[in-house]
Amino acid sequence: MSTNESVQNIQEQIVALLPRLRRFARNLVRNPHDADDVVQIAVERALLRLDQWRSDARLDSWLFKIVRNAWIDEVRARGRRARIFMPEEAGEQIGESSMEREIDRWSAETALGRLPEDQRLAVSLVLVEGLSYKDAAEVLDVPLGTLTSRLARGREALQAVLRLPEGESA
Amino acid sequence: MTISDETLMAYADGELDAATRASIDAAMLQDPDIAKRVARHRALRKAMQGAFSGVLEEPVPERLIAAARGQNTAPKGAVVELTLAREAVRRKTSLRSGWQPAAMAASLALGVGLGFLAWQGRSGLIQQGSDGGLVARAALAEVLSTELSDDRSPALVATTHLSFRAKSGEYCRTFSLTGTDASSGLACREGNDWKIMALAESPRAATNSGDFRTAASADSPAIRAAVEASIDGEPLDHAGEIAARQAGWAAAKR
Repeated sequence: MSTNESVQNIQEQIVALLPRLRRFARNLVRNPHDADDVVQIAVERALLRLDQWRSDARLDSWLFKIVRNAWIDEVRARGRRARIFMPEEAGEQIGESSMEREIDRWSAETALGRLPEDQRLAVSLVLVEGLSYKDAAEVLDVPLGTLTSRLARGREALQAVLRLPEGESA
Repeated sequence: MTISDETLMAYADGELDAATRASIDAAMLQDPDIAKRVARHRALRKAMQGAFSGVLEEPVPERLIAAARGQNTAPKGAVVELTLAREAVRRKTSLRSGWQPAAMAASLALGVGLGFLAWQGRSGLIQQGSDGGLVARAALAEVLSTELSDDRSPALVATTHLSFRAKSGEYCRTFSLTGTDASSGLACREGNDWKIMALAESPRAATNSGDFRTAASADSPAIRAAVEASIDGEPLDHAGEIAARQAGWAAAKR
């Protein structure tokens, strides 16, 4: 069991991670206020479970996992995914030609937001949050191979819509 | 030489072991196409690093900082009491495993006990039991034993919201007290008592007496956290509640 000082220490580490937890939550929940709600629930839950955190594990991955689980529980509990949570299929289908016209306006965020959820989370954890494949797989509770294939598919989709400075030719 | 795109991706992400990395290094020198594919992966990586970076610059809402420090000051509901947890901290008795996280919560929550005095005078609905913990009494105990969740009648002293079986086997229910001070709690059946495991109080929010669920709902983060910490599986559905009530909410044999 942690002493008071080490609990306080971890709390401050969590405070320092809040900006990243909020960023990750924005990948789960479109509405910023709802995203913060998910972060708040997760942080409260994390404090209740500090004894479950192994100090050899990265605190950020552990928290990302709790954020993700809090989000899943919220979705289930509230049953209002369609209203507040990022609709996976809601984005209009972009045809090839209009896509080419619009392509410059596509930000990384928009493109990311249109990925199917499993790919979006894999990309977000590895490319945005900088987690290793192993840590990201652990956050998402999937085998490493599943993580890498989601990541590969997500990247492929992003590369198809983003105009990147290098490697533009197919 | 053909190299799978997944391997090149892992190369760009720094996930390969030294030997494989060296072989890709060599392949890139020989084959401009491979070099180009790696460059695409790197460019994407760089582009995505900036996604949502605006969030990082925003000031973090105070409520999140307070939550991270275990200060439940959020308007949604403040923890005023976590009986079992407090007991555990005080007596250092061995807890049933399912409740351990709650003990942590109590040691973290600021202001534990602040609202406790307010409870003492409350029309006898919640009283100190023989072992020092809080127990539901009188009409509150009756509601917990007899009412099904969300059977709302303003005439009752409380509304129950959620029933579930705890990891320790006993039945637990969340409730909110009818009235103006919008208090909610979690009670678990032990023997013939409903022991109060957690109470939360929301300030002032439900002064419009007509809608006594507004702030008093079992949705209080503190109560929800207490439920989270102890629930075994899913909450009871309507039929499950009826069956549990019929069995007198007796704990399951494990």
